[in-house]
Amino acid sequence: MTRFLVRTFLFALAALALQAQQTEVVLSASSSAKLVLGMAPPKASGLDEAQVAAEFTAVLKRDLDETGVFAVLQEGLPAATAPAKAWKEAGAQWLLNVRLAKGPAGDLQLDASALDTAAEKAVFTKPYKADRMVPLRRMAHALADDLVARLTGERGVASTRVVFVRQMAPGVKELFQIDRDGANLVQLTRHGSLTLSPSVAADGRLAYITYKGGAPEIWGQRRRDGAHEKLYPATGSGIMLSTPVWSPDGRRLAFVQGDRRGNSDIMVLDLQSGRARRLTDGNGINTEPSWNPNGTQIAFTSDREGGPQVFLMQDDGSNLRRLTGEGTYNASPAWSPNGAMIAYVSRFEGKFDLFIYKLGEGKAYQITTGVSTSESPAWSPDERRLVFTSNRFGSMQIFTTDLSGRQVVRMTELPGCQSPKWTRAR
Amino acid sequence: MRYGTYLVPAAIVLTLGSLACKPPKTAEEIKAETQAAFNEGYQAFKDGKARETNPYVTAKDAKEIPHKIQGWYDGWDKAKADKDAADKAAAEKAAAEEAARKAAAEKAAAEEAARRAAEAEKAAAYKRAADAALKTIHFDFDKSEIKEADRALLQGIADFMKAYPAAKVEIEGHCDERGTNEYNLALGNRRAAAALAYLKTLGVDEARFTTISYGKEKPLCTEAKEACWSQNRRGEFKLK
Repeated sequence: MTRFLVRTFLFALAALALQAQQTEVVLSASSSAKLVLGMAPPKASGLDEAQVAAEFTAVLKRDLDETGVFAVLQEGLPAATAPAKAWKEAGAQWLLNVRLAKGPAGDLQLDASALDTAAEKAVFTKPYKADRMVPLRRMAHALADDLVARLTGERGVASTRVVFVRQMAPGVKELFQIDRDGANLVQLTRHGSLTLSPSVAADGRLAYITYKGGAPEIWGQRRRDGAHEKLYPATGSGIMLSTPVWSPDGRRLAFVQGDRRGNSDIMVLDLQSGRARRLTDGNGINTEPSWNPNGTQIAFTSDREGGPQVFLMQDDGSNLRRLTGEGTYNASPAWSPNGAMIAYVSRFEGKFDLFIYKLGEGKAYQITTGVSTSESPAWSPDERRLVFTSNRFGSMQIFTTDLSGRQVVRMTELPGCQSPKWTRAR
Repeated sequence: MRYGTYLVPAAIVLTLGSLACKPPKTAEEIKAETQAAFNEGYQAFKDGKARETNPYVTAKDAKEIPHKIQGWYDGWDKAKADKDAADKAAAEKAAAEEAARKAAAEKAAAEEAARRAAEAEKAAAYKRAADAALKTIHFDFDKSEIKEADRALLQGIADFMKAYPAAKVEIEGHCDERGTNEYNLALGNRRAAAALAYLKTLGVDEARFTTISYGKEKPLCTEAKEACWSQNRRGEFKLK
């Protein structure tokens, strides 16, 4: 809650600062109005024009379109050298000018500036420098994120990535990551076995389940960019383990441990001491833990009252209460980054749809509808979108949606994807 | 008397001399002696003792330098003959030992093969019994209760476990795709536990079972219809 207040305060400050110039449109996250942005053709030197068009301009346009706060002017574009006034007449509120230059050593220099066309005043200026290893598309992502930050007070998510599970062969699944725009697929694990339930800590460390030793074990990274190693259990195995989830501070792992009587319980592992503590009471199925942003509460799925429903509790297991009311099968809770919302899935007629429970209102809102299933919601870092899996095009693929459910974007063209997690840190 | 003094000793000498000196052998005698010696030698030869009883050679010489005795060397070398005889005896002994060893090894191999065959037969019988007994059971949607129809299958598994007291089995719990990945892992665990609890009531030590849940991660069938889902909601039993 503190974080939420701080954010709101910062946002208000940003709004005041913008208002002081009396020239700009300020959008709140909930507004559906978009700022119309005109993009002058980039001036490139030392770079192939076709490459710039494909790897920079097109990437930037798509990034901005998907931010939900910008609308890139597509039609009736003025000539390349037209003055700001012509852009204003064409409908652009901001005019973005970009100059790209490639140095002799292969290093890249990007100078971006945005002009308010009404006031004819610069609203954004930023130079970017990158060595030869940084692809053009990452610079486009960085610029898109900074433009969103300039407009809304919070960085965009164009530079973020999604970690997910992909089936390699029957019974063999591995972790992958992909850029938010669907480019740059990277395989993260090579265990050659079932590898499930990835979680990404705030600093980018992974934790996940792998069956490489026969029985499931929790593996992950103790240090940032460190080797993948077994985190739990320290000795022995053979019990059911699933769903490790990093606490927001990255020091604890919530996970699920099953017993031989068929119960499964939420546990919390302290990485420092290696001690695990059981939070639920060995009564039926308790699974799918999700931390609130300050790590004091956990949302989880339990069938203690019959079918699966979403419950909340403190991080010591106390103050247990049921969250979801309607429906016979509510599961997969995902607490939003600022803590005000919990996304979950609810089953109706054999398939799942995404819902969002707004804690302030005490009400749930349906996000997706349709004949296909939508599962495993995870929040974007800016809380504007959800990433989820769906079989709407046949096999299970990864999609994102805005919170209205109207702007669904397909992220992968790989069959057999599951458990996406959206992160800034990788 | 003078002559008498010499006469007496002379008479004694002559008398003794005539007694001591035999008359020269006649030709007949020599022939007979030769024949006798020949016969003796021939007999000795027939007895296999010819060389040892050579009358012209001392026993010592015969042993040590028989081939050096003048006129009696026919190339026979006792040391070599002894060595050859010893070598032959040793070779025969070694051959006999080798044959005995071979026979023993063959016997052992035959026994081992028989034992292996018996073991393989036992293992095959175990495998057959396991294949016959370890049948997959099925569950209703979102349920983990043992179905009436599967009780006979579980009884078969219990009988198998009792017939083979060394057998250890892993119980796998599986689910259909209509649930979340994580919830289904918990549900699969509950299904494996339900099968374990039922087998325990049939009198099998639960320590002989391990349980593992694969949730919906290892479906048998991937189509989105009930005929497929009902196959996937299952408990499998695998020898460990």
